[in-house]
Amino acid sequence: MNKMKIALLVLTLLTCSNAFAKDKFSICWTIYVGWMPWDYGDSSGIVKKWADKYDIEIDVVQINDYIESINQYTAGQFDACTMTNMDALTIPSASFVDSTALIVGDFSNGNDGVVLKDKTSLADIKGQQINLVELSVSHYLLARALETVGMTERDVSVVNTSDADMVAAYTTNDVTSVVTWNPLLSEITAMPKANKVFDSSDIPGEIIDLLVVNTETLKENPKLGKALVGAWYEIMQVMQKDKAALTQMAVASGTDLAGYEAQLATTKMLYTPDSAVEFTESAQLPKTMQYIAEFSFKHGLLGEGAADSSFIGIQTPAGIIGDKKNIQLRFDPTYMKLAAEGKL
Amino acid sequence: MNFLSIENLYKSYGENLVLERLNLTVEQGEFVSMVGASGCGKSTFLNMLLGKEKQTKGKIVFEGKELTQEPDAERGIVFQKYSVFPHLTVLQNVMIADEFSHSPILGWTFGKSKKEIKQKAMSFIDAVGLSPAIKKYPHELSGGMQQRLAIAQALMKAPKILLLDEPFGALDPGIRADMHELILDIWQKNKLTIFMVTHDIQEGFKLGSRLWVFDKIRQDPQAPNAYGAQVTFDLSLTTENSKAAAKELLKEAS
Amino acid sequence: MKRLMNLTPSKPLSIFLSLMPFVLILFVYWNASNVRLAENPNDKLLPSFSQISSAVDRLAFNEDKRTGKYIFWVDTQASLYRIGLGILISAASGLIIGLLTGLVPIARSNLSPVVTIISLIPPMAILPILFISFGLGELAKVMLIIIGTAPVIIRDMQSRVLQLPSEQLIKAQTLGASTWLVALRVVLPQILPSLISSMRLSLGAAWLFLIAAEAIAAQEGLGYRIFLVRRYMSMDVIFPYVIWITTLAFLMDFSLKRLSQLCFPWYHDIESGK
Repeated sequence: MNKMKIALLVLTLLTCSNAFAKDKFSICWTIYVGWMPWDYGDSSGIVKKWADKYDIEIDVVQINDYIESINQYTAGQFDACTMTNMDALTIPSASFVDSTALIVGDFSNGNDGVVLKDKTSLADIKGQQINLVELSVSHYLLARALETVGMTERDVSVVNTSDADMVAAYTTNDVTSVVTWNPLLSEITAMPKANKVFDSSDIPGEIIDLLVVNTETLKENPKLGKALVGAWYEIMQVMQKDKAALTQMAVASGTDLAGYEAQLATTKMLYTPDSAVEFTESAQLPKTMQYIAEFSFKHGLLGEGAADSSFIGIQTPAGIIGDKKNIQLRFDPTYMKLAAEGKL
Repeated sequence: MNFLSIENLYKSYGENLVLERLNLTVEQGEFVSMVGASGCGKSTFLNMLLGKEKQTKGKIVFEGKELTQEPDAERGIVFQKYSVFPHLTVLQNVMIADEFSHSPILGWTFGKSKKEIKQKAMSFIDAVGLSPAIKKYPHELSGGMQQRLAIAQALMKAPKILLLDEPFGALDPGIRADMHELILDIWQKNKLTIFMVTHDIQEGFKLGSRLWVFDKIRQDPQAPNAYGAQVTFDLSLTTENSKAAAKELLKEAS
Repeated sequence: MKRLMNLTPSKPLSIFLSLMPFVLILFVYWNASNVRLAENPNDKLLPSFSQISSAVDRLAFNEDKRTGKYIFWVDTQASLYRIGLGILISAASGLIIGLLTGLVPIARSNLSPVVTIISLIPPMAILPILFISFGLGELAKVMLIIIGTAPVIIRDMQSRVLQLPSEQLIKAQTLGASTWLVALRVVLPQILPSLISSMRLSLGAAWLFLIAAEAIAAQEGLGYRIFLVRRYMSMDVIFPYVIWITTLAFLMDFSLKRLSQLCFPWYHDIESGK
C-alpha cells in the first residue's frame, strides 16, 4: 500500500515537472487601437487555449511605454512585440535582431494626421514649426505629406514633442501645427480652429501595425507562430460580432465603445487571414517598405554602418528590398496562410 | 531735568511678571552696574533701554522725551558675543558705522569721505589697541580682541548711552582685568553714561559708579510668577568710603 | 593593530582605492559588452568602446550631414544656456525673496506660506499648466527649472537670514543703519556664500528638470538628443552624453565652490574651523 502511495507521488511529481518543462514564451504589447485585441485575448483565455493546444505557455505583458516595449524586445527580453512596420525596421532590424512580421493586423487609414491651426490647406505648412514625435511614423507621415506638395523637411522646422504632452502642447499659442496619431489626433481635431489637412488615408497601407517575432525563435518553435496566429484570428472573429468584447477593449484603452469604434473607423483592420495574406503578398508592400527605408536612412535610423537605404534587407513575398545578404526584416505570410486554410 | 528717568516701569510676559514698580533716575556720566540672580530681569531691563523690548506699563524718559521703541544710534551696545560682523575686517567693522550715515543708498563710501572715515576709525581702533590687526577678520581674533573691536565699533557713533550686556563674561580672568582698565579709561575720556549687566558682583563694584541689585521683594510660593523683581539696592560707589559701606550693607542683607 | 576606524590610507593607497570602483565598473561593462557583441555584432544595448568613440567623433568633431552643424556642441550650448539662465534666475529670486522674507516680518507673513506651498508642488505634475502659461519655447524650459529650484533656494535663504544672530542686526541698528542698509551690508554679504552652496545643491534638480523639459518639446539640447536616439536605442550616443552631463555638472559644482572660496574666505575659514 505504502509503495503504491510513493509510486503515485513520484508519478505526480514527474507529470508536474513535465508541465514545468513546457516551452515558455512571452510577448508584449502597448495600448493602441489595433493592438487592444491582445488584451482581450489574454483576459478571455483565447491565447491560453491556443497555447495549450500546442503545448506551450505564452505570457502576454502590457508595457506602458511604446518605445520601451520595442527596446525590451530588441534586447531579448520578449520573444514577440507589437510595433509598426517603420519601427520594426529602425529598431530591431537596424540592431540586427532578425525579425519576422508574423501577423499583419491592420494599417492606419486616417489614424495618423497632420493638423494645422487656423490654416486649411497643406501648402500653408511652409515655414511653420511642427510639433511631433521625431523619428516616429508621424515624422514619416509628415515627410510623405510634404512630398505631395513639392516640399521637403527643409521647408519646415520640426520640434520633437513627447506624445504624452501633445494635446496640452497644442493648446499653447506657440504651437501652430502638429502631426500625431489617435486618440490624440481626435482630441486635437475636436478643438476650435484645428484643421486636419493630411492623414494616413492619403497614403493607405503605408503605416502598418504588426506583431513581430524574433526570427530565430520562430524557426526553432513553429508552435509559437501557430498558437499566436490561431489565437489572433479567433479574437478577430469575436471582435466582429461581439459588442461586449469590443466594449472591453474600449475600456482597457481608456475610452468607451463609441470612441473605440470611431478609432476603428480610421483603422483598416485585416480581420480575416485571407485579407492579411493578400495585403502581405501585394506588390504595394515592397514599395511601401522602400519609402520607409529611404526615409529611415535619410534620418540616420539605419545606423552608422549604413551606406545607403538598401543597407538592411527586407523580405516580402513580392520581392526583396535592399541587401539580399543582410535580411533582417521578413514579411512571412506562411502562418497566416495556414490560418486561412483552416490548418491550425 | 534728569538725563534719564524711569517712571513706574512694569514688564510682564503674559502672566509672568518680570519687573515691577521701577522708579529710578540717572545722571549723565554715571556708570551703572546691574547685578542680580539669573532670571531676575536685569537683561530685560537692558533690552528695554536698548529699545529691543517694550515695557508693559510706565515709561522711560530720556532727555525729556520718551525713549524710542527701536534701537538707534543714541544707544550703543556691546553684547557678550556676536557683536561684530564676521564678514568684515577689523577696519571695515569700525568704518561701517559712519558709512551707514554717509551713504544711505549705497552703504559704501569712496574717495575723500572714505579717507576721513578711515582716519576716525583708526583713532578708535588705536584706543582699544587693535591697530596691528586692522586687516584681520573677527574669527582670527581672540575673544578679548573681538570685544575690543565691538567697543571701538560702538564708540564711532558717539552714543550718549553705552549698554554692556555681560561684555566680559566669556573672557579669561587675565584678559578681563585688561578690559576693565580699557572700559574705565574709555568711560572717562568719552564722558559716557554706561549701563552694564554683569553676573560678577566684584566686577560691578570695580567698574560702576553706582550699583543696582535686582531682586524680588515679595514672594508667593503658590504663584512664583505673580510678583516681579525690583531694584532692592541702589548704592553709590563714587568714593572708597561709599564702596566699603555698600559692601558692608550687601553682606548684612545676604 | 589599530582599530579599523583609526586606520587612514596612505596617499597612493587612497588614490588606488578611489580609482578602483571606476576601473571595476569599466571592466564589468567591457566584459558584458563583449559577451553581447559576440552573440550579435550589431547589438546596440552595450556598444564597445570603439563604437562609443566613433559616435563621439561623429557627433562632436564632424558636421552633421543634414544640418551642417556640430550636433554635440549645439546640444551642449543649448542645454548650458537653459540651465545657466534657469539657475541664475532661481538664485537671484531666491536671494531677493529669501532676504526679504527673512528680514522683514511683514514680507514673511505675506510670502512665506505661499512659497512653502509652491515648493511642495511637484513641477512635473503641473506640466500642462506650465505649457498653457509659458508656451513651449525656451521660456517654458527655463521656467520649469526655475519652478523646480527657486522655492527651495528661497526657503534656504530665508532660514539663513533667520539664523543670523539677532545681536548683529541690533548692533547694526545702533550704528544707525536703516532696514535697507542692514539688508545690503550686514545680511546680503553673509548669505551670499550660503546662496552659492544652495545653488550647488540645486544643480542636481536643475539638470533633472532641464532634461525633462527637453524631452517634452525641443529642437536641440543634451536631454533632447538622449530621448531622441532612445527611439532607436543608440546607446553608443546615450553613454557619452550621460558622461558629458555628469562632467558638466561636476565642473559647475566645482567652479561654484572655487568661486565661493575666492570671494568669501572668511566664510570657509569659519566653516572649516567648526
